[in-house]
Amino acid sequence: MYAYDTFDRNIIDARVAEFRDQVERRMKGELTEEEFRPLRLMNGLYLQLHAYMLRVAVPYGTMSSKQMHRLADIATKYDKGYGHFTTRQNIQYNWPKLVETPDILTELADVEMHAHQTSGNCIRNTTTDQFAGATRDEVEDPRPYAELIRQWSTFHPEFSFLPRKFKIAITGAGQDRAAVKWHDIGLILRKNTEGEIGFEVIVGGGMGRTPVIGKTIREFLPEADLLSYLEAILRVYNEQGRRDNKYKARIKILVDALGAEEYGRLTEAEWHKIKDQHIDVPEEEVARIKAFFTPPPLPVLSDDVEEVDTFARENFIFKSWLENNTNPHKVLGHVNVTISLKPHDGIPGDATDAQMHFVADLAEKYSQSEIRVSHEQNLILPHVAKKDLPEIWKALDANGLGSANVGLLTDMIVCPGMDYCALANARSIPIGQAIADRFDDIRRLQDIGPLKLKISGCINSCGHHHAGHIGILGVDRRGEENYQISLGGSGAEDATKAALLGPGFDEHGIVDAVEKVVAVYLGEREEGEEFLATYRRLGPTPFKEAVYDAD
Amino acid sequence: MTLINLSGIHSETYRELENDELPATGESVLVSLGQLQENSTSIFELTSSVGVIVNTETPYADLEEFVGRVAFVDIRFPVFGDGRGFSLAVRLRKDFGFKGEIRASGHVLPDQALFLLRAGFDSVDAPDERHEAFEAALKRFGAFYQTDMIGHGKSVAHLRHSADKDKSATQKAG
Repeated sequence: MYAYDTFDRNIIDARVAEFRDQVERRMKGELTEEEFRPLRLMNGLYLQLHAYMLRVAVPYGTMSSKQMHRLADIATKYDKGYGHFTTRQNIQYNWPKLVETPDILTELADVEMHAHQTSGNCIRNTTTDQFAGATRDEVEDPRPYAELIRQWSTFHPEFSFLPRKFKIAITGAGQDRAAVKWHDIGLILRKNTEGEIGFEVIVGGGMGRTPVIGKTIREFLPEADLLSYLEAILRVYNEQGRRDNKYKARIKILVDALGAEEYGRLTEAEWHKIKDQHIDVPEEEVARIKAFFTPPPLPVLSDDVEEVDTFARENFIFKSWLENNTNPHKVLGHVNVTISLKPHDGIPGDATDAQMHFVADLAEKYSQSEIRVSHEQNLILPHVAKKDLPEIWKALDANGLGSANVGLLTDMIVCPGMDYCALANARSIPIGQAIADRFDDIRRLQDIGPLKLKISGCINSCGHHHAGHIGILGVDRRGEENYQISLGGSGAEDATKAALLGPGFDEHGIVDAVEKVVAVYLGEREEGEEFLATYRRLGPTPFKEAVYDAD
Repeated sequence: MTLINLSGIHSETYRELENDELPATGESVLVSLGQLQENSTSIFELTSSVGVIVNTETPYADLEEFVGRVAFVDIRFPVFGDGRGFSLAVRLRKDFGFKGEIRASGHVLPDQALFLLRAGFDSVDAPDERHEAFEAALKRFGAFYQTDMIGHGKSVAHLRHSADKDKSATQKAG
């Protein structure tokens, strides 16, 4: 993992001191709320429906046991004993007091964490594959580049007041687990025919009220040129992105207006002007950062472990968990374990302080003290020896974290919705819980197989419903919560936009509708065919008939 | 309103011309880009020194013909969040090699002082009661992650691997 040097330390300490001063000026009335707002937002502090909300960055979703223990301590000391892991691989605290937020930032800085740019019209936390540096299907570990981007984008003198927020995602694997095509900039690590590392550069993706899948503007950008190229993309956006209407201000609207080809041309022209201006870091700096991400020395073991197989034969839930919640590691005999934060009756992405401490302890024992957060709001223990799996699962299960549903229908992304969020038009969490109730049985879920269900409580689509195999959007219809269902979205390498199936339902009707959609799939699927493939083969008609005909 | 000096360079007070007014001979004046585009010949002939006011929407290319002839550029922010002003300053420095003063006016916040300085601004025209906060904000950070207009091309990433590393690393922020 990356470790701070004196430079990083000085910058983070200065930032905390600055924010403490800003909060004091606000408390004394020297700053109006209007003036304070942009300042607190750049430190991740929102004013929500009931209270302030602090969004803490987990840069590219990687943290240590020590950091996780600290996140738990903060939940105990400054919040109501829990935190919420988000689709941006961050953690949100829902109940901090304004006067205490500088203390929270001090405690975070102490473990090399911060809330920089987790909000506001600036470059946000760069997200990546939760299995980065550990998965078998990877070209290159994307995290050193994400750290480079973190530093370059932190308090950028030119790009801290963009037309709108700006999200970058990067993956190094063949399978896209970071939804890069749904980001303002998506980067895919590639090797060219000479074996050199570079990036495919995608721009203009995004969700919200105008869902767009990003377009490639460069097939191969040499790794040494990453930051200058990003600077060129950002300069074009900062100058030409719309500022008259916040719903038209994201880069996707500009890319659509100019055309991706023209956006690429403008970027290339700008980049050729600036690429020798020392925006990119020296080679030694890339090497320095990469050294922090050297893979841990794991012994090569056998992928076949007798005691694991035996236990799987005895215990169906463990067998499902083994199948769904583990991902093959680079080193034979090892896996990456996904801990589902979608337990039955739970709130997707929430973890209590006790659970955070428990996961941190597990990581110390089994995963090199390393923990990841996925954009699907689960926690990951990377680098786990296969032989330890029965023991790990038993411990997880005893702590309410043994759910085997990763990748299945109840492993939903659900935004906080009207239970917390000031922007929401409808509740999301209770809908997710009602659907989880209906599909309670792991055998049934296992039979249905991989299915991504995503729920947003408003058109801003924080719940990623546009990328759901089944997407649900809560809207306000004449004062009533109404839920629309869309099908066929994907956030993976074959990214597609989900298509609206028809009119919406009330909170009970939507659960029935999901069940009818699943029933069509089960009836129509071919051998081994997953939900999305069946939908793509059949199109919406049979689903539409099943969902609406009964009325 | 008086000027806050960010960079060490700043000009004397210039008189701002009315819309269709012509300057007196030998005067130092501040004119809008529109006026300058219309009357550049007479304005440059009459005056000893010219500053030009541009808004954040101004395409940077429109300034190219004047950069060698004006003493300073005053970028007017309609609202602090209009980041186009920052790119405009960067363009003036990087694309046109403008060596004169760049001033921020209009709505800017004290907490933006370092962003402004690092994007190439020299001064800010701000209410007197804000000066203290601007000065405080300028002293907050000692090193930065990006190359910028004041760092002589040295970002933290460059400083980490350069000879003056030790000196800079121990320089305590604010």
